[in-house]
Amino acid sequence: MTSSQLDKMRLELRRGVLVLAVLASLKQPHYGYSLRKQLQDRGIDIDEGTLYPLVRRLAEQGLLDSEWQQAEGRERRYYLLSEQGKELLAQLTDEWQQLNSALTPLLTASEALSQSSEQNQSGETE
Amino acid sequence: MELVERYVAAVQRELPEAKRQEIGRELNANIMDQLDALKEQQGQLSDDDVAAVLKQMGRPRTVAYQFIPPKALVAAEDMPLLKHTLYMVLGVLFVLQVIGATTHWMGSSDGNLIRFLLQLAAGFMTDACFAFTVIVLSFAAVNGTGHKLGNCPGKDWSPKELPKADLGWQHIGLSDIFTDLATCIFLLIVIWYPLWMSPVEFAARSVTFTDAALLMLQWFSPVIVLSVLLSLWQLQQRIWTRTLLLSSIVVNAAFAAFLVLLAFNGPLLQAGPAELHSLFTVLQLEKVFTNGLLITACFPGYEVVRDLKRLRQLA
Repeated sequence: MTSSQLDKMRLELRRGVLVLAVLASLKQPHYGYSLRKQLQDRGIDIDEGTLYPLVRRLAEQGLLDSEWQQAEGRERRYYLLSEQGKELLAQLTDEWQQLNSALTPLLTASEALSQSSEQNQSGETE
Repeated sequence: MELVERYVAAVQRELPEAKRQEIGRELNANIMDQLDALKEQQGQLSDDDVAAVLKQMGRPRTVAYQFIPPKALVAAEDMPLLKHTLYMVLGVLFVLQVIGATTHWMGSSDGNLIRFLLQLAAGFMTDACFAFTVIVLSFAAVNGTGHKLGNCPGKDWSPKELPKADLGWQHIGLSDIFTDLATCIFLLIVIWYPLWMSPVEFAARSVTFTDAALLMLQWFSPVIVLSVLLSLWQLQQRIWTRTLLLSSIVVNAAFAAFLVLLAFNGPLLQAGPAELHSLFTVLQLEKVFTNGLLITACFPGYEVVRDLKRLRQLA
């Protein structure tokens, strides 16, 4: 697999998960930069070109409430999960957990299978 | 912070009017936060530092498109329908253009074939460009209102009606149908020219069919009309069925037989009322025409054999 193929698939894999991560982070109010920082601290590195438009889209869909506030001598737009957003987050969390519990055994089994085939191969070589 | 202002203004220029103020304000706040964080790490920032941060964010146009992605003129869901509509409309325009060009060609004094083909091509290109623009803009206008034409459910279907997987030929191409349609209409116009051509136009002809050849052609017209109907039926079905194949075999066999019959029942051409201004004599043209008929007869003949094989495959 080429690195561009990997990048494309990684992007596809992350796209849906990012929505979940952003919604979950916005149970607390955040402005753009602080949200990015929080996600980064939790190991989800997301560039501003993806995050800020995503947050705006979610707000336009009514999943986030937003408010301009003055802080540290400058204005910032704070986002917070709306009621509709809370409902969606609960549903998406259930979905994610179901997927995760179905996927984990699959991935474990496939890893075990590849390990045993590697062992067989090395045994034959010896 | 003039660089930030310039950057935000450049992004705003790429955005729709209604969104400029709001997105610009938010983008400015986000950039200032990012610069503040950098200032905490590095101390005072130079213009180069600010420029590096802005460059890393991306070109203003790219950033604007991230906020408001550019819309395709026609939605992806509507593309198959757009292609189909274009094929159909361009096909009909081609047929109409053949009618117009043939009528004009028959009425012209010299009957120059190259001029006929050029006129046909030029007329079709003009009509096609206009139709293409109108159709694409219509789709864009409908998509602009938020509707997707491709989402219409269409007529009911059943998996049992689908052609067999190993018979790729069963799907009938639109280009084949429209070519047949245009050819038949061209023939009908040529055969029935005494009906619609004025005496003045007729007098300008240098070569015409003999009375016997014209009578034969006119007697054959019902088969050509049948072929037109067959093409329209194909247009509606778009898949070769047993009945369609049988009809096609009958029509093509009639065409092949008639063309051979016509070729061996000369003379087919005679000098017209006007003087012949050509490199060739009527006799030479007659010979070329007869050979042309025999060669042309090979095409429907081939299609008869091909369709007989296909009929066996369908069985």
